[in-house]
Amino acid sequence: MRVGLVEDRLDRAVAYPLQLAWSSMVGSTLILTSVPVLLLGAGLAAGLRSNRTRGIVAVGSQAIAMLLVLVSIWPVLSSGVAIEIIWPWPAPIDRIAFRIDALSAFFLAWSMPMTLLGTLYAIGYLRPYFNAGRNGGPHFALLNLTSLSFVLIYSVQNALVFLLGWEIAAVAAWLLVIWDYRSQKIRFAGFNYLVSTHVGLFVLVAAFMLLHSYTGSMDFAAFGVYLSHHPAGQGTLFLLLGISFALKSAFFPFHTWLPRAHSAAPAHVSALMSGVIHKAGLFAFLRFTLLAGTPEVWMGWSVLIFGATSAIFGVLYTATQRDLKRMLGYSSTENVGIAAMGFGVGMLGWAWGKPALAALGFGAGLLHVLNHALFKCSLFYAAGAVYRAAHTIDLERLGGLAKRLPRTAVFFLVGSLAMSALPPFNGFVSEFLLYSGLLSGAAPTAEGDVVLVCAAAVLAFVGAVGALATTRAFGLAFLGRPRDPSIHVGEDAPRSMAIPMLVHSIGILVLGLYPALALHLVDPVLALFHTGPPSDLTALLAPVVWACRGLALVLAISMIAMWRRRAAARQSVTWGCGYTAGTARMQYTGSSFSAQLSTLFRPALPVATREQLPTEPFPQRSGHLSTNHVDAVERRMFEVLGQGEQFVQDSSGRIPEQPRFAFAAGLLVLVVVALVALGEVL
Amino acid sequence: MTSVIANLLALLVMPIVLVGTINRVKARWSGRRGPPILQLAFDLWRLVQKTPVYSTVTTPVFRLAPIVVLATAVGSACIVPLAGTTSLVGFPFDFVWFAYVWSFGRVALMLGALDTGSSFEGMGASREATFATLLEPILFLVAGALCLHSGVHSFAAALVPHLDGPPAVVMWLAAIAALLVVVQVESARMPVDDPSTHLELTMVHEVMILDHSGPELALLQLGSAIKLYVGVSAIAMLLDPIAGESSVVTVAAHLGVCLGIGVAVGLSESLVARLKLRLVPAYIVIGLIAAGIALLSMLGRGGHG
Repeated sequence: MRVGLVEDRLDRAVAYPLQLAWSSMVGSTLILTSVPVLLLGAGLAAGLRSNRTRGIVAVGSQAIAMLLVLVSIWPVLSSGVAIEIIWPWPAPIDRIAFRIDALSAFFLAWSMPMTLLGTLYAIGYLRPYFNAGRNGGPHFALLNLTSLSFVLIYSVQNALVFLLGWEIAAVAAWLLVIWDYRSQKIRFAGFNYLVSTHVGLFVLVAAFMLLHSYTGSMDFAAFGVYLSHHPAGQGTLFLLLGISFALKSAFFPFHTWLPRAHSAAPAHVSALMSGVIHKAGLFAFLRFTLLAGTPEVWMGWSVLIFGATSAIFGVLYTATQRDLKRMLGYSSTENVGIAAMGFGVGMLGWAWGKPALAALGFGAGLLHVLNHALFKCSLFYAAGAVYRAAHTIDLERLGGLAKRLPRTAVFFLVGSLAMSALPPFNGFVSEFLLYSGLLSGAAPTAEGDVVLVCAAAVLAFVGAVGALATTRAFGLAFLGRPRDPSIHVGEDAPRSMAIPMLVHSIGILVLGLYPALALHLVDPVLALFHTGPPSDLTALLAPVVWACRGLALVLAISMIAMWRRRAAARQSVTWGCGYTAGTARMQYTGSSFSAQLSTLFRPALPVATREQLPTEPFPQRSGHLSTNHVDAVERRMFEVLGQGEQFVQDSSGRIPEQPRFAFAAGLLVLVVVALVALGEVL
Repeated sequence: MTSVIANLLALLVMPIVLVGTINRVKARWSGRRGPPILQLAFDLWRLVQKTPVYSTVTTPVFRLAPIVVLATAVGSACIVPLAGTTSLVGFPFDFVWFAYVWSFGRVALMLGALDTGSSFEGMGASREATFATLLEPILFLVAGALCLHSGVHSFAAALVPHLDGPPAVVMWLAAIAALLVVVQVESARMPVDDPSTHLELTMVHEVMILDHSGPELALLQLGSAIKLYVGVSAIAMLLDPIAGESSVVTVAAHLGVCLGIGVAVGLSESLVARLKLRLVPAYIVIGLIAAGIALLSMLGRGGHG
């Protein structure tokens, strides 16, 4: 093993101070020790006898690995000095470079602890299955492998090993999703995910093959040198890599696998996939943005618009789902979209040579990634606690859970307020930074400024629909009266499930009131992107954070005051507006709550209706009506896959019959030809 | 210092006076003498002394909601100049805070409504949430246009009008129109909602506070009065030619403009019928279009730095 110092090979003017060789050696040894620890833990978990020891071994080995990683990345986070090792390897790989810079360290710093919490949660969540005699060994081993994949993806600088980590994460996630493999629906969801993630993999392999053919190397550093010196190749690779990473992080319209997988998987797996595992797509995007150097302006705009589209569609679907976990899944599409909007602003700032704007954009994006991981995991854990107690997560049937599951209710409430980006919770801080970037008026042209303000308006729309969605989810599931008397609610979450939720909720509050803590993680990363002095973000946030603290203080004091004089009140029934025969079934439901919104946005939110309505004046048979908000992209995709031939036949059949179809088709061909010709000329 | 005192006094007195003015105008128009201007203060005092009644269905969320509503209303009031001078607090991009504390208040109100398990209150919450989705973009389009125009990023400073050239005038008019829609929807005034009754005519805001009583109802009523005054005060800043200076004349002029808007609101509530609920989104879209015009007019200004 050869320990090398970091040199600024990529000509990026980021000067890493010289470091002592031994500290790099210690850091790299610690990180690489975590790999055998995790593998050993996985092996033991698969081999041991009782589920209890399997769980303990998995949690223990992950805790050791986490400590090793955290200790080794500490100097990277505190000083911004990267750790690098180069491993000689037999041909054809030649050598494998590991490099932990601030970007890797940022992602590792929260991914590994959160996976550990997820594993802890699994022990409680899966207990009913264990009591029924199910073997949890492979499941815990796979959770260990997920942790291992982070070490590989976030630290390795070699395309082959990177793909290995990528694939371990994907396959492990698939196997984790199909825990309940006896159900055909869940197997289908898993298969759907497996296919989608591999489509993404093929695109990624194509991009790596292109880069390999240009550079003759599998090393990321060589990729970086090529990308930063060949702007012509940058465009194609930007698109290929962008699509692959968008599939990984479930951006619209590549999100179709996501709602199914998230509703089918056990709660901790959904949480880890949504909050942690799929952030690897965003990480990889940032990694290649860094490698490619100063981006072009169009790339920044496309990332911004792509992110905004994803946020809009994600949040519209979030607001209309009736399955709680499906709803949370769609909200990931929304939140990665918001993070991508941040990255888009950052790339624009970088391309325009405005370091302050770049710092705002990338800072907002990175902070939102972390904030999203915190509140989304917490929400999925709470949804899992609901499922474990009530055996359903259907919003139309739940209700009044706050009285039966008070602990879970508090955690879900904190998570959902953070998800709606309300002050004083953490989601607000990152969105505030993003708004500051969008509204700063820093674009070089008036048109640019106007488009950025429009993006801020889109973000405001997304925020408001998000608030509707979370109010609906919490208000209908936890408040009011139980809608379905056939649901028997069991006990509240046991300690192993409550601790992860508690840790995440504390994280939400702490980062909402002291975002400087998270900015310490983000600042070294921003230094890589050539942004302005990092302290600017803290200074910008200072007044609004004080305002948040003030609000939190007022609310805390009034809560205590309220608690003290709780006895001085009378109890009665909810006023029925003069109607005395109201039942719990007559309460507002999930569908009715979002009905008006979904009517306004009908084109984007198709509804599948199955109905058999009674006809005669004295109906002999009882009718039925069921509506379901289906995914527009998925429906169209299956339409094309299933009846594609028919579809093409029908459309081509129409051309001779209807001249305007022929005209439209001709016009399309003409435009494409003209564009290609224009591209050749330019 | 005088500015701070003026703001605090305006925060304490003006919401009550404004609601009283609107009600007095409505009463006069329909041929009644009307309640005293300070009637709201008497009502609040009466409510505070009562013992609240809680539904057995409710949880602590129901009792927490009014506190959040009042706290967020005051939180938004700190950002806007309440007496025509400057605001109590101002920092870069404080209108984001403004929009999101309003949103927090709204969410708390909706959760309080859903906590009762009443379908009527659920209906009101659903409407409020839906209208808010169209409303929030208006606020940011207007704030963005004002920021681009003035080059400052704090709400109080951006609200001071600088009418230099035709694009600025277009922007100014459109921004006033858009903010007017925002205030009408947010404080549930005509033609969006009828605040006169709790049950028969009202469709959104008053629906959600049906089950609140006693001190909690007082908090909610004070909160919505403050929100109304904050919105009216923001519009008054745009209308007031001498806004932003720190003198007694400015304060007097600002309060005068605010009461003038109050009279206008009272008149419009006497003359205009509530829109059909289906048409409310269309009405908000008018505000959205106005906000879009305000922003687009910024394309027309020259000399971009």
